[in-house]
Amino acid sequence: MSYRSFLPVTGVGCICAAGDNLSTCMKSFFGKGSHPKPPSRFTGDHPVQYPVFEVPEEISLWGGGRKQEVFRTTQLAMTSAQEAISDAGLSKKELRDRRIGVCIGTTVGSAMNNEAFYREFRKGLRPDMKPILKFLNSNPAQVIADEFGLTGPRQTVVNACSSGTDAIGLGALWIRAGICDAVIAGGADELSRITYNGFISLMITDDSPCKPFDRYRRGLNLGEGAAVLILESDESRRIRNHPAQAVLLGYGASCDAYHLTAPDPEGKGLKRAIAAALKENNITTDRIAFVNVHGTGTHDNDRVESKVLNELLPEIPFFSTKGYTGHTLGAAGAIEAAFTIACLQAGEIPVSAGFNIPDPDLPARPVNERTLVTGDVGISESLGFGGNNAVLVFGKCRL
Amino acid sequence: MPSLRTRIAVNGIGAVGGFGCGVNDLEKSLSDRVCQPGKVEIISGEGVIELPVFNAETQRLESYVPKRALRRVDHFSRIAVLGGYLALEDAGYAETSSGNMGIVVASGYGAAQTTFGFLDTIIEAGDGCASPTFFSNSVHNAAAAQLSIFSRATGPNITISQFEMSVPSALVTACQLLAEKMVDFVLFGGVDEYCSVLGYCRHRLFPNEKPEGMAPLHLNQQSAIVGEGSAFFLLSRPEDSISPYCFITNIIFGNLRCEDVSLPPEAFLILGADGHKCCGRHYAEQIPCGSRVAVYANLYGSLPIGPAFDMAIAALSLKSGEIFGVPRQAGENPKWQVIHHGEKLNREPIYCVKFNENGDFGFIALERE
Repeated sequence: MSYRSFLPVTGVGCICAAGDNLSTCMKSFFGKGSHPKPPSRFTGDHPVQYPVFEVPEEISLWGGGRKQEVFRTTQLAMTSAQEAISDAGLSKKELRDRRIGVCIGTTVGSAMNNEAFYREFRKGLRPDMKPILKFLNSNPAQVIADEFGLTGPRQTVVNACSSGTDAIGLGALWIRAGICDAVIAGGADELSRITYNGFISLMITDDSPCKPFDRYRRGLNLGEGAAVLILESDESRRIRNHPAQAVLLGYGASCDAYHLTAPDPEGKGLKRAIAAALKENNITTDRIAFVNVHGTGTHDNDRVESKVLNELLPEIPFFSTKGYTGHTLGAAGAIEAAFTIACLQAGEIPVSAGFNIPDPDLPARPVNERTLVTGDVGISESLGFGGNNAVLVFGKCRL
Repeated sequence: MPSLRTRIAVNGIGAVGGFGCGVNDLEKSLSDRVCQPGKVEIISGEGVIELPVFNAETQRLESYVPKRALRRVDHFSRIAVLGGYLALEDAGYAETSSGNMGIVVASGYGAAQTTFGFLDTIIEAGDGCASPTFFSNSVHNAAAAQLSIFSRATGPNITISQFEMSVPSALVTACQLLAEKMVDFVLFGGVDEYCSVLGYCRHRLFPNEKPEGMAPLHLNQQSAIVGEGSAFFLLSRPEDSISPYCFITNIIFGNLRCEDVSLPPEAFLILGADGHKCCGRHYAEQIPCGSRVAVYANLYGSLPIGPAFDMAIAALSLKSGEIFGVPRQAGENPKWQVIHHGEKLNREPIYCVKFNENGDFGFIALERE
């Protein structure tokens, strides 16, 4: 199969509540799955506990002696970056000698909002400056670039829930521009008491396991994690004689220009983003195996996605993985890109976790059983606060 | 050095900062060579701290947007939206097809005041009374989102946060969106705001050694004064340009650990030195002797998106054909040819040069033709 333009994905790394690497996550999806629990690393004084998807404490993250110096978000990003780099077979020398950029999406990872520091400041005390220094030392793209001695561009994308998807798409543009040979692209976010309270205040969180697209869905569960793809020019890949896991075939992005937190109910922005992503290689619907949707479990999001998919891609199976991972915010798009690649390779998609009872108001429904898929193209889409829509198209292609 | 060679037209400029609002106010402060900061007080463990700050006023936004529509828009987003409107107006951009415009915003710290405002609601009234309005406005991309809502721009909408490298990094993205023809126009800019926590942190981490004023050219002294504001540009491919100020021709980035800096000897350099001595040493070491240089941070203060203001000043110089003299208090540095009074600009390019403490650098090259 020849494409007009494509970028090999030569390595993938992923860590989330479902597992500490991509293979373990996939086994979980096709097995028992993972389930949200009350947060263990912070507390809230709400009358009910809102469950979250935490990366288990027993999983050892990157950091060693530096763990106290950088945010957990950055540790998650580095952990998945290490897996992806190893998967791509990039040696330390190759990392230093090639032009390699870093493009990472995050939300929590760029926020200066340490509560303990601020409480002391408000009281007119003299707070310890360590939390501020930690914030200044935690820019995930910067840390990854410095840790591996990379010489390419670096960028942290802060586009809320579409950050991870946008980071991958924007990183791809660098390679097309000839700025670098490869990009470490992905997203990372940790669970935080601040965002926990923020989403609860918006009344879009569920106090039980989330149910994307279900008739009785009541909102999302937050999660944490990271995923990284190694995007590489085909020339660089061939020189290294390393196989690709998949190819990136398209990136589309748009903004609803509608509301700060709610998506455009007509989904006009999402339709434009999907069309733009498919247009790059003139992908027709008969080639699309599945869509890995944003599927948060909120009424607005699921309604819009169902409407758009019914109009643009009827009969194409789709699923949400947020019932396995929670909504990992800036990491979500990257984690779902990783899963899209893995599902393309497997030729099947898991049950859309949490979906049991169809909503008669939603014209399209996700799969409710493990499903074999044909087609050589998978779509991963993300919708974010601010009305962002970001879509990636991957091709199943062994190079 | 990694770089993006390009040719992107700068069609309109909107700037909001301590100097005022709009291109005219910026030009006036450049001609006057002075801008006085205001003062804020912070109550802290050391008692009341008085700090100079270059504050940005956004009253003028109400001439573009009804006041009622702004009632839930915070200061951070207002600064950005005002900068955006000013740039569109300056470019004479008609809202004919909003799908043709993307938005790319750079910010070092995001909506800092609202971020802590959200924490205030939790601390004062408990978790259950956290404010959803504050939370939704506190996300880093809130300003870009508000810009898209008000301007009805439905192209890609991207926010980048890379501290002092936010502007050159985000500019690469803006230029690529145009080069790939994902959109025909990009409203690109940088925005950062002051908040009391930021001021306090600056005071604790970088105590001022020059209370008499900011002197960015005295590179081994700490004299930074916090600023806030925005600088926005309407960018396009050359064939779609609307009477452009100039063209962005190169964006160079890297880290001093991996490579040495090389700048064209004929270029005029606007240095992003802003009174932080931890960054100042890099300018001292990397900018060759005899270079023609200027610094303008005295007019807008020290903030991560400072390079966006330098870009605006570079564009004004290229259009007028004249380099503005440095502000009166900028200081002196005998190593370079510091431009103290207006000078003719020939055909040389202008490079906006920024180093951070880590040794990262971002250079933005602009040319008239």
